[in-house]
Amino acid sequence: VTRPPDHPLDDLAALALGALDLAERLRVETHVAACASCRERLREYREIAGGLATALEPTPPPAAAWAAVSAGSRARRPPGIEGPRRATLGGWLRSARWPAVAAVLASLMVWNILLQRELARHAPGPDPGPEVSALARRPGRVVILTGSGAPGGSARLFVAADGGHGHLAIAGVSPLPTTRTYQLWFVRTDAPVSGATFRVNAQGQAWVKVAVPPLETVRAITVTEEPAAGSPAPTGPRLLEARLPAEPGR
Amino acid sequence: MEDADPELLRRMQRGDEAALEMLYARYGGLVFTLALRIVGDAELAREVLQDTFLRAWDGSEMYDVGRGRVPWWLMGIARHRAIDLLRSRPHQSRLREREAAPATAAAGMAATSAPNLPDRSEVVAVRHAVIRALETLSTGQRQAIELAYFGGLTQVEIARELGEPLGTVKSRTREAMERLRGLLWPLLGPKEGSERP
Repeated sequence: VTRPPDHPLDDLAALALGALDLAERLRVETHVAACASCRERLREYREIAGGLATALEPTPPPAAAWAAVSAGSRARRPPGIEGPRRATLGGWLRSARWPAVAAVLASLMVWNILLQRELARHAPGPDPGPEVSALARRPGRVVILTGSGAPGGSARLFVAADGGHGHLAIAGVSPLPTTRTYQLWFVRTDAPVSGATFRVNAQGQAWVKVAVPPLETVRAITVTEEPAAGSPAPTGPRLLEARLPAEPGR
Repeated sequence: MEDADPELLRRMQRGDEAALEMLYARYGGLVFTLALRIVGDAELAREVLQDTFLRAWDGSEMYDVGRGRVPWWLMGIARHRAIDLLRSRPHQSRLREREAAPATAAAGMAATSAPNLPDRSEVVAVRHAVIRALETLSTGQRQAIELAYFGGLTQVEIARELGEPLGTVKSRTREAMERLRGLLWPLLGPKEGSERP
């Protein structure tokens, strides 16, 4: 089957192997979300990639590993609930494994700083303007929001290292009627906090200045669709979402 | 008759620890082997192993049948966790160099019996088939695949590592994956009535 040249065939293989950088991954995933044939090919590549490990010379895990998994599985059950936790926010909040999380956090910080310039450079949508350009030159964090609630949609939240403010770059979401708006939420342990309401242009893009609460109090960042005036708490389904790693000592 | 993998996951969602133990017995060795290959450190690999199964248990990672078979889903979790750890290490470059060396050809791969892996002819057949398929790739294709999957390198990093143009690395990667797909899809793709390899 001959495919049009705009299908990112080379990149599908790289995506399945986890070998694309963030900006490329977002670009390819956006295409895949809207392209059934590439989605199918990616699925096949992922199955193949998943099986590659079977070719490695097997090494048995330490005997103590199962004991740790077993103990961990019991510890992760919330009081009063018989089964394991589902992928709820509350469940996720209690699932921190501190050494791994600390390591991941450290890598995230470095990784985010390194990627900021690149993301700012490649971010789709309207010209971000001098504020975002300035932000991208400073250390900080980038949080990527994705989700099945908005196929093809994604957002990147640039947060200044000193906190308090940031910018959200959105692409690939549908324009809304005038009676509706998108709303960004910072989900904390106590209650969700609104970061901004925004609408997108005809291409489904927007740059939005955002009030950012201290990220150490934030467990997830979501985008929902709400009535035009915005809501005091999210009422619509989560369209885009990012979960933030819990931090030790929180 | 043993439960198929998706049924084990359903039982785990109901809090059935025996199902978790069975899943671990089936794939714990494979997950540990992959993690060890990526991070190159037994203690870190154990951390990845534990984390992978606990994430499968508590719903931090949700299985999506559209993403392939259960063991490949577990491999995906483990690989991401391992690469996160690898990239957080202060001497990641040195670790990568050390790991990249045996990543050429089929080094580090063998068709030997598998301690702690299910001793089933089907599993052995899959391993043999994957090894044979990898051996059909050119050295450059194999390097591109292995540096990406086991080394956690991006295409740009692979091009830099190998001193090759980025376009060459991209096309080699696609050619390799196409070849592997042609050879392995009947074995690694979804199976009617079973999710196990």
